[in-house]
Amino acid sequence: MTPRDEEELAAMVRAAAGPLRVQGGGTKADMLRPVRAAAVLSTAAMSGITLYSPSELVLRARAGTRLAEIESVLAAHGQQIIAEPPRFFGPAQTIGGVVASNISGPRRIGGGAMRDHVLGVRAVNGSGEILNFGGRVLKNVTGLDLAKLLTGSFGTLAVMTEVTLKVLPAAEAVGTVVVPAADARAAVEVMAAGLGSPFSVSGAAYLPRDARAYLRIEDFAESVAYRCAKLAGGVAGAEILGGEESKALWAGIRDCAALPPGEAVWRVSVRPSAGPGVLRDVAFAGVSGFMDWGGGLLWLSGPATRAAHEAVCAAARGGAGVWWLMRGPEALRAAVEVIPPEAPALAALRRRMTAKFDPRGIFNPLKMWAA
Amino acid sequence: MRAMKQLDPKPEILARRGEIIAGLLRILPKRAVIAEAVSLKPYETDALTAYRQVPLAVVLPEDEGQVVDILKFCAAEGVRVIPRGAGTSLSGGALPLADSVVVGLMRMNRILEVNYPDRYAVVQPGVTNIGITRAVADAGYFYAPDPSSQLACMVGGNVGMNSGGAHCLKYGVTANNLLGLRLVTMAGEVLELGGTHCDAAGYDWLGLVTGSEGQLGILTEVTVRILRAPEGARAMLAGFASNEVAGECVAAIIASGIIPVALEFMDRPAIHACEAFAHAGYPLEAQALLIIEVEGSEDEQDATLRRLREICERFAPVSMRVARTDEESAAIWKGRKGAFGAVGRISPDYLCMDGVIPTSRLGEVLRRIEEMSEDYGLKVANIFHAGDGNLHPLIMYDANEPSSFARAERFGAEILTLCVEAGGCLTGEHGVGVEKRELMRVQFSPGELEQMRAVKDVFDPHWLLNPAKVFPL
Amino acid sequence: MQTNFTQAQLADPEIAVANEILRRCVHCGMCTATCPTFVTLGDELDSPRGRIYLIKDMLENGRDAGVEEALHIDRCLSCLSCMTTCPSGVDYMHLVDHARAHVEKTFNRPLADRLMRAALAWVLPHPARLRAALRLARPVRGLGFLLPGSGMLTKRLRGMLRLAPRGLARAAVVGRVYPAMGARRARVALLAGCAQQVLAPSINAASVALLNRLRVEVVIPPEAGCCGALVHHMGRDAAAREAARANVAAWVAELDGAGLDAVLVNTSGCGTVVKDYGFLLRHEAGAADAARISALTQDISEFLLKIYQPARVAPGLRVAYHAACSLQHGQQVTAPPKTLLRKAGFEVMEPKDAHLCCGSAGTYNIMQPEISAGLRRRKLETLRELRPDVIAAGNVGCLTQLAGDGVPAVHVVELLDWMAGGEKPLALS
Repeated sequence: MTPRDEEELAAMVRAAAGPLRVQGGGTKADMLRPVRAAAVLSTAAMSGITLYSPSELVLRARAGTRLAEIESVLAAHGQQIIAEPPRFFGPAQTIGGVVASNISGPRRIGGGAMRDHVLGVRAVNGSGEILNFGGRVLKNVTGLDLAKLLTGSFGTLAVMTEVTLKVLPAAEAVGTVVVPAADARAAVEVMAAGLGSPFSVSGAAYLPRDARAYLRIEDFAESVAYRCAKLAGGVAGAEILGGEESKALWAGIRDCAALPPGEAVWRVSVRPSAGPGVLRDVAFAGVSGFMDWGGGLLWLSGPATRAAHEAVCAAARGGAGVWWLMRGPEALRAAVEVIPPEAPALAALRRRMTAKFDPRGIFNPLKMWAA
Repeated sequence: MRAMKQLDPKPEILARRGEIIAGLLRILPKRAVIAEAVSLKPYETDALTAYRQVPLAVVLPEDEGQVVDILKFCAAEGVRVIPRGAGTSLSGGALPLADSVVVGLMRMNRILEVNYPDRYAVVQPGVTNIGITRAVADAGYFYAPDPSSQLACMVGGNVGMNSGGAHCLKYGVTANNLLGLRLVTMAGEVLELGGTHCDAAGYDWLGLVTGSEGQLGILTEVTVRILRAPEGARAMLAGFASNEVAGECVAAIIASGIIPVALEFMDRPAIHACEAFAHAGYPLEAQALLIIEVEGSEDEQDATLRRLREICERFAPVSMRVARTDEESAAIWKGRKGAFGAVGRISPDYLCMDGVIPTSRLGEVLRRIEEMSEDYGLKVANIFHAGDGNLHPLIMYDANEPSSFARAERFGAEILTLCVEAGGCLTGEHGVGVEKRELMRVQFSPGELEQMRAVKDVFDPHWLLNPAKVFPL
Repeated sequence: MQTNFTQAQLADPEIAVANEILRRCVHCGMCTATCPTFVTLGDELDSPRGRIYLIKDMLENGRDAGVEEALHIDRCLSCLSCMTTCPSGVDYMHLVDHARAHVEKTFNRPLADRLMRAALAWVLPHPARLRAALRLARPVRGLGFLLPGSGMLTKRLRGMLRLAPRGLARAAVVGRVYPAMGARRARVALLAGCAQQVLAPSINAASVALLNRLRVEVVIPPEAGCCGALVHHMGRDAAAREAARANVAAWVAELDGAGLDAVLVNTSGCGTVVKDYGFLLRHEAGAADAARISALTQDISEFLLKIYQPARVAPGLRVAYHAACSLQHGQQVTAPPKTLLRKAGFEVMEPKDAHLCCGSAGTYNIMQPEISAGLRRRKLETLRELRPDVIAAGNVGCLTQLAGDGVPAVHVVELLDWMAGGEKPLALS
């Protein structure tokens, strides 16, 4: 089912006889648990930017609008989506899907996540009611923040039909300080020093393949030059990359170019100093990857086996963090905890919450949790 | 005086007052229970004194265990509970009900952990906002959200209201600066939400609880992100001949690609009140004043200020001045942050609105407010966060004059309705509280309110936590 | 804030003043954050805003003070930190003064309390009596631990004994006029004070010596005595006004006689009250004279700022400057003492939370031993972090409170006099 507008979508929901696979471009079907549903409800046909006010830093688009379209319109006005969502999932990715999965790129560490810039959401709940939460202004604490609750809920509570985002001017210039790092621990130290500096580092990543840590500065050109020089000053072997090289480098980090195709992929979020421990603890299972967010985010890949998955879970737990199974064969995704299970009290709350939004349990059932 | 309808107290609770207090004394030390009528009186209100109600009792827990015991006891007894921090809410967030127990978290005021390599701090809810920054300032760090009441307001309340501040244009509001919470539900269950890492796997409970105004649980621990402070910061003042011109200048600054760390607006009455308090050198001849702050090294500040001056020049400023020293910057901010209280110098009472509008509608909305001010015969001072359209019209009235408050209340409602009609919202950072409760219908449809109520139901099925706030009765 | 006084109530000029003060308050709560008792006790009732509300309710209802009002008003240090913080300009000082007098008038304190307060009011403002009392206390100074029990009385007595100095100097030489050295540039009256004369006579000695050295003639009229602050803060309004009247008369005689350029006070707790004589005596015959004296009164640091010159090479000492509340909040004198110490060649540092009281506060350290001890501990911790060679303050109460922790505590003028050619403070040798 590919409704053309909100009313049609609401009617389809009301008429639905059984579970629906809710999606935009369908690019995240291989992420988290497989959804067994008789029908697919896609927002892909509900497309288009409905409001863009550059001087107010606000953009609103229908859920099925492709990320690439939004980014090109923004770029034409020298602006950007702050959280820098990865293009890991291919060109069909929609803004609804990006918000529903709350996946952010390198800039999350300084600028915040997708969820930090969702100003408003229109959605249809499981009873087919059209609801509007949040709004189009930059600050809003009116009532419970259900826009935040829907962001990152993978379509399990309601079907988003339109989202409003805060956007920002793209920086005039970008530069990168490259620091050799013998291992992950050394890299985290370099990144902690950068993120703990007064220079507003907007990206801090480590690629084991290169044995280098990268610190990004985005600002006016004179500031980029000054700040990169300050960060590199006195650091042995540090180099500074210019704008074009930097853009290519950070696009690769954002889109996980370093991960080999074909393998299972995980994301792990821990406090930054726990990042190296995670890399170490998954190595025995043939899992490896790279660090973003100063060491706090690990993109990992390895064999699509239960053993590898358990190793990732144990390592994330060891760092008091969380994991997402981002890509893997259906059998694996159906069999394991694709995200951490909740504590019993929270699980009970969540089940009651789902029932309040989707009383019939028809939206992406079991997408996130097995029960 | 109190035009706002209140929830009727439950007679069976009032009748059992002695028993309930005895029960509280069984689970808490004597020093943690306040039950004398004289001593309950100062707890009848917060920073919105127009609404007042003496509670049944006040308890001041000292740790999470006591919070759990209190909530379990109150849940079992069917007693309503009102969480309270510093009592600085401008929307009546801590207003008691006659049959309620106020849970004051002021004694839970310890900083539990500071971690610089991972850039977070774990604090109890009774730590003041500025208390976090003071604890980490020696290491060069700060906690970004900075509501005007930051000296006094507490982190628990900041999370409850999702507080913003002057610098949230760059650094975001409370929700953007949190990593984890410990929340005790009305059933007495302790939930750990988030942690020390970024982003939730599963639902964004952290985001849901932030700004939930004590509807979902009581906080016992808050993990916040701390940031390294920039090399320096400087404020500049630009005075303009009218509100409209200043508003146009704001739009021009944003459009230029500069996002100043703060971009604040004051109109003439506000300029005069604040100058009397802070002696910051605000231009008394201006009709509207922008306070613009930039960050970075001296050279970077100079460069950004140069760009900003060029933009301001296009709007024929009546005065422009850059702070020369840290003391001058501090004085500029002292005036702005004490603005609400400073209005106490020119009026015995005020109502502080908190509506948000699309910034493109600034001039038009201010003009309408001016007209309403004349219609209602009440003066208004405008102080607000111009960069994000968050207005704080302060409606001045005299509570000792009988009709004055009712007019002020109607005036306020009309301003907020105007904000919603202009595409904005009722509250940007102060919360709905009791004050804007009935106006929620202006912004939300019945179905939307029903969905919010359903979420409240999930956490607090008997509606014992901070009832008669947020949702229209 | 709304108030609910009747027209009849407002006819009372004291209530009218209280009403004006209350109307200024917008209940914003800023004051809570910088109030030492709120920070320590975490109860609205122990914050300025809570007290204002208690007082408002008590006065509006024309109610006698009860246990609760007395408890929370007594716990106020009158440090006036709240007034520095208040954006609305609420005159908390005069409100709490009013409330203290109301408590004193209408509340029947327990017997032990009454006796203790009467004793303090009888002894402290009178140097001879205090000297005699301390002579009795000195041999048993270290024996406070022998006092039985852990009740409030025991704690208070222990607190009193702790304050007794180890050695007691002889009475300061009383004279009338101390001439300037060289050509006189000014003539000032110095408040000799009461307890300070006994507890730290070196402060007056250094003050006079320094002023004389700077070519200032100092007069200490023997008719002037205690400023009245100690009894004032106990709510003993009549006694306070009596002291104020005596001082005003003595100084006005000088002012209209040989002339005065200033009345100087070197105990800031006294200075706050002397600067307020105009208000205190506003309903009396001598109101105009009292106002003249208040206008003429300066903290000694304010006066020295214009004329101080060091004469010695600085010894490179690290001085932790402790801002007495009466000076920083009560009189809003913040920079002068630090500027002077720097000019004298010292390295001047300030502790964290400098706005918080050390817990001395007149007789507070005796009447509220637990809260006072907590504040003392906190203040000493923040001072120790500075690793100072010496602590300097402008108020003898603070110096007594902060003494005995291993770092000598001296008055700012003692350091200034030393560097101007005077004697090295005893505590530093």
